[in-house]
Amino acid sequence: MAHEPAQTEAGKAEHHGHGAGRYWLVWAVLLACTGLTVYTGHYHPSIVVALVIAIFKASLVVLFFMHMTEAPGTNRLVFSVSLVFTMVLMLGVFGDLLTRNPMSLPGGAPPSEFHAAP
Amino acid sequence: MSQPSQLSTEHPDKPVIPAVNYLNADRGVWSWLTTIDHKRIGVMYLVSVLIAFLLGGIFAMALRLELLTPGPTIMGANTYNRMFTLHGVVMIFLFMIPAIPGVFGNFLLPLMLGAKDVAFPRLNLLSLYLYWTGATLALSGMIMGGTDTGWTFYAPYSTTTPMTLFPVLLGVFILGFSSILTGLNFIVTVHTLRAPGMGWMRLQLFVWAIYATSIIQVLATPVIGLTVMLIGIEKVGHFGLFDPSRGGDPVLFQHMFWFYSHPAVYIMVLPSMGVISEAIAAFARKNIFGYKMIAYSSLGIAFVGFFAWGHHMFVSGQSSLDNGAFAAISMLVGVFTAIKVFNWVATLYRGSIAVKTPLVYICGFLFFVVFGGMTGIAVATVSLDVHWHDTYFVIAHFHFIMVGAVIMAFLIALHYWFPKMFGRMYHEGWGMVAASLIVLGFNATFIPQFLLGNAGMPRRYYIYPERYQALNVASTAGASLLAFGFLIILIYLIYALVRGPIAGDNPWDSRGYEWMTTSPPPKHNFDVTPVITQDSHSYQEPGEEVEHVVI
Amino acid sequence: MSSSEGGLTKPHLAHHFETIEKQDYAVRLGMWLFLGTEVLLFAGLFLGYTVYRHFYYEAFHQASRHLALWAGTTNTIVLITSSLSVALAYHAIKQNKKKQCAALLIFTILCAFVFLGIKAFEYREKFLEGALPGAHYHFAEVTAPGANLYYTIYFLSTGLHAIHVIVGMSILIWILARVLKGEFSATNYVPVELGGLYWHLVDLVWIFLFPLLYLI
Repeated sequence: MAHEPAQTEAGKAEHHGHGAGRYWLVWAVLLACTGLTVYTGHYHPSIVVALVIAIFKASLVVLFFMHMTEAPGTNRLVFSVSLVFTMVLMLGVFGDLLTRNPMSLPGGAPPSEFHAAP
Repeated sequence: MSQPSQLSTEHPDKPVIPAVNYLNADRGVWSWLTTIDHKRIGVMYLVSVLIAFLLGGIFAMALRLELLTPGPTIMGANTYNRMFTLHGVVMIFLFMIPAIPGVFGNFLLPLMLGAKDVAFPRLNLLSLYLYWTGATLALSGMIMGGTDTGWTFYAPYSTTTPMTLFPVLLGVFILGFSSILTGLNFIVTVHTLRAPGMGWMRLQLFVWAIYATSIIQVLATPVIGLTVMLIGIEKVGHFGLFDPSRGGDPVLFQHMFWFYSHPAVYIMVLPSMGVISEAIAAFARKNIFGYKMIAYSSLGIAFVGFFAWGHHMFVSGQSSLDNGAFAAISMLVGVFTAIKVFNWVATLYRGSIAVKTPLVYICGFLFFVVFGGMTGIAVATVSLDVHWHDTYFVIAHFHFIMVGAVIMAFLIALHYWFPKMFGRMYHEGWGMVAASLIVLGFNATFIPQFLLGNAGMPRRYYIYPERYQALNVASTAGASLLAFGFLIILIYLIYALVRGPIAGDNPWDSRGYEWMTTSPPPKHNFDVTPVITQDSHSYQEPGEEVEHVVI
Repeated sequence: MSSSEGGLTKPHLAHHFETIEKQDYAVRLGMWLFLGTEVLLFAGLFLGYTVYRHFYYEAFHQASRHLALWAGTTNTIVLITSSLSVALAYHAIKQNKKKQCAALLIFTILCAFVFLGIKAFEYREKFLEGALPGAHYHFAEVTAPGANLYYTIYFLSTGLHAIHVIVGMSILIWILARVLKGEFSATNYVPVELGGLYWHLVDLVWIFLFPLLYLI
């Protein structure tokens, strides 16, 4: 239960070989991506591009700021599974909405190109 | 496992309750309210959920009494709506969801793992406080606010009813938080507090069941938390999310609601299946048949259960594509359940069966889970459900599982682990009487409801055409038998608590790990961390070969 | 648990954990599980967004143009920077640099205040314009059908997010207090890590909210 401070200190220096530098680098990339997303969003809006950039930024935060690269597999599994089930929720609901009878849709608006049989 | 010296196996002629155990280690109400001992928390959950069950049962009896005659009997329409809302919310959120995990998960998980407590004992106490807070808020909210939406709170009625909803919704939200924290606690406990030698494939099946349940609790409950708060906000603020007149979609509410509420039924049923696995091995004195399959099927049910929610929405306007997909996936759950049933029956086969009270409930359970499960497959069939949806057929189906399976399992757990928790034994004769009444009463209550539903009687109606009366009267009579049975159990268990014979440490001579410490256990469970050298529930003689399932 | 300035401190080992390593593993797993639940909590709102944006694209597009892009961009930069500072705070305490850790935590908390301040400003603007959710909508400049739902989603998601900012900020203030008391050091820093993880989640949610609300 007791730690040997000297031992652990030395161990720390080895274990955390990377300095603060990588955090600054990630920060710079995140800011650059923010700039990119503002630019593309303003001049060439596209949900796909916006999401791709957002996912990239999020991955950087998760992997480096949240140390997912060093985390045990269980923690990675936990987080990934929560993302997967978010997708399941979206897929199930959106799948319904895209394939419903047009009359039962929000606003009565027809879906973009799919018309379900009446 | 290293044994403390007070085990009654060393004093077989004189069972004793250890002088100092978790029940009397610290004295005073305050020591209970501020405890971090998982066993005490489990006992407090037990008292709480039993009160909830009593209340839910009273509401049920009120409903059944009203349905004795085709016209109004003892209440008007609005009261009836409020009554089935009370019954549903109390039974589901205050009893079914927290019961087996909160009581037996809390009490047994560390014991079965060889641990001193759960991973986060203070979080565990917080879960209990949240349960009390949420339960009080929900109950008082419904009683004083006149909630009449049913436990499903469907928009647009819930967002337009003049009745007050915010307190009950907040209560449900808080209860959800309690559930999430419990699930989180249990997952971390299973991952980090197993005794040396306890690999995953040595975990008891109740632990596997609780683990799978906890995964559902953690992943699904946040969605219901958000959804009920959205209804609450909608009522107060008129934000229009589910309101068609403002462009919203009420079926979106149903999607979000059932995304939790379908996996929620597996939160209720998986722990009960875990209880059965434990009890069957003990009462057949035989190693569980197909351990791996049962373990994996628990995870399988948890997983597949997340993809099936749309089967509650077959007639809501959901698309045919989704209808078909949800129907097919829902039937998959039957596969995993069937695997379990086969394995349980195979365990009983050629076992050394002890015909005790829990075994009566086990037989009831097996019949009800098969019958209830098969009717589940039936209602999962879209073309059939179109007729059965919102009729008594569905009510009978889910009560077969919720009462017939889950509550039977709760009673099995209560009887099987009663000596473990309190060191005393209940009266076996009365146990058998009550069990018979309950199994009989249950059949008499709910089989008529299948017939009623099939004949077209809708649910949540307080009056009905004359031709349905006979079956309704039969159902109410059955419910009275059920109630009587539960009353008997309450009486003899309380009696056993104070004057029952001392049970000794292992009255069933079960080989589950939790029986390897005293009954009741000491405050810290184990004086020395046990080292696990063999599988739990190993009933084979030394040197004897055990049948293995070859897949 | 506390020690003299600059000294190393021992973490408290709970009675039911065998080793500090097991305990650290357990609390980290617990925090990741909790973050998982937070993801699922926001999932419902992202679902609402996805659904209604699909059916009311015109309204969503127009309304999005009327948001103050400078405010959203500034807030994004503020949160990303606060993520950096909290990561650096964690890095600092692991090297026993307690004063640096405290300073970085203070900076992070200040960023949170700035974020909330800008958000409050934006909300006030909406109130004045009538760009409000559901029944209260009376914003003359966006009249496409479903515009009120855009603001419903806007207020619900940024509101829930703001609540999490407040919670995250409170956690960091509590951690800061313990850093200032000297409780943490190179041998006892896991709570700082956990507080940081929660804060990063707050940043993560905003990384998605920003483009989805401001840039469509």
